[in-house]
Amino acid sequence: MNNIRRGLLAGLAAGLVLATLNFVTDGTPGRTLPDALRWFGITIADPIVSRFAGFFLLIILGGVFGLIFGALQRERSVTSNRALLSGLLLGFIWWLVFSLLLTNIMKHAPSPFSLSFGEFLATFPIDLLFGVVLGSIYFQLQARSINLSE
Amino acid sequence: MGISSSASDRNQFAATRAKAGSTVLAPVILSERSITGFALIRIFVGYLWFQQLFWKMPPDFAGLYKYIILESRHAIIPGYGALLQHTFLAGCTSLSTPSGCTLFVPLAAGVWTAELLVCLSLMFGIFTRFGAILGTILAAQLYVGLGYVDWYWTYGMLVLLCLGLTAIPAGRRMGIDAWLAPRLQAAANDNRVARLLSWFV
Repeated sequence: MNNIRRGLLAGLAAGLVLATLNFVTDGTPGRTLPDALRWFGITIADPIVSRFAGFFLLIILGGVFGLIFGALQRERSVTSNRALLSGLLLGFIWWLVFSLLLTNIMKHAPSPFSLSFGEFLATFPIDLLFGVVLGSIYFQLQARSINLSE
Repeated sequence: MGISSSASDRNQFAATRAKAGSTVLAPVILSERSITGFALIRIFVGYLWFQQLFWKMPPDFAGLYKYIILESRHAIIPGYGALLQHTFLAGCTSLSTPSGCTLFVPLAAGVWTAELLVCLSLMFGIFTRFGAILGTILAAQLYVGLGYVDWYWTYGMLVLLCLGLTAIPAGRRMGIDAWLAPRLQAAANDNRVARLLSWFV
């Protein structure tokens, strides 16, 4: 159960980092946050409510990915290698599902895999970063609990 | 400077410090919370550079042109404007578009690539100190060129932020350097390249 709890905490923290990065965008703060709602076909007319809802949705989705991360590690203790690689893999899956497929489907793009260089650059590194942060925080939490138990 | 995570390390350090009395400077050890805080700062400074890629995108890097013109006119160091005129702006015929410029696109590509390296290095914590040094150089160049155009401290703060990250191993938490650093340090005794690379993590 520890792995699931650790995964959830790491996912929520990584989701918070991702949501905050989306908040500090150029121009109007948080203008990209409603994109997370659009992945699920949700539209909120009030821009402020829409941004806050997007912010919290990203954190919740981070938590869900954290749960998946924790479940994948089972009850064993993971190496930094494995934590980072699993994180990168989940970051890639996040990008594939949300930033590519769902974005294109909701925009009614000609193909679910439509992608320009600008869109790729704007989304891919950030989503991979989410994965790296998720894996790193999970590993840090595991190291801390090992230190405390010694 | 070191990173300590355990209470026993801190106790040992406190005992050593007490023995040494006031004759020596105590070494500084960063706590887990401090280094994690610096890791977050590193990610956001990297994101700052990341966002600036999008207004000067390839293939023409047109967004950069206006700023090179400004730098060539308002540089705070004498001769820097002339240097830009003979490199970035060689052959340019217009003040608004890079038409006729012979070297603008390859040099602007170099700037864009350097900024991409800085943001990837800082956001992912991979060879973080290298990214921070490169960021310091780029920010210093902006300070020289645009110090009189924007608020004087804008680029000064950017220089200081990047300079701060060269001094701290901020990539060793929430970054790939956490994985790289022990491996490079282990190989550093036998391998000159590993020793050189270990300076940058």
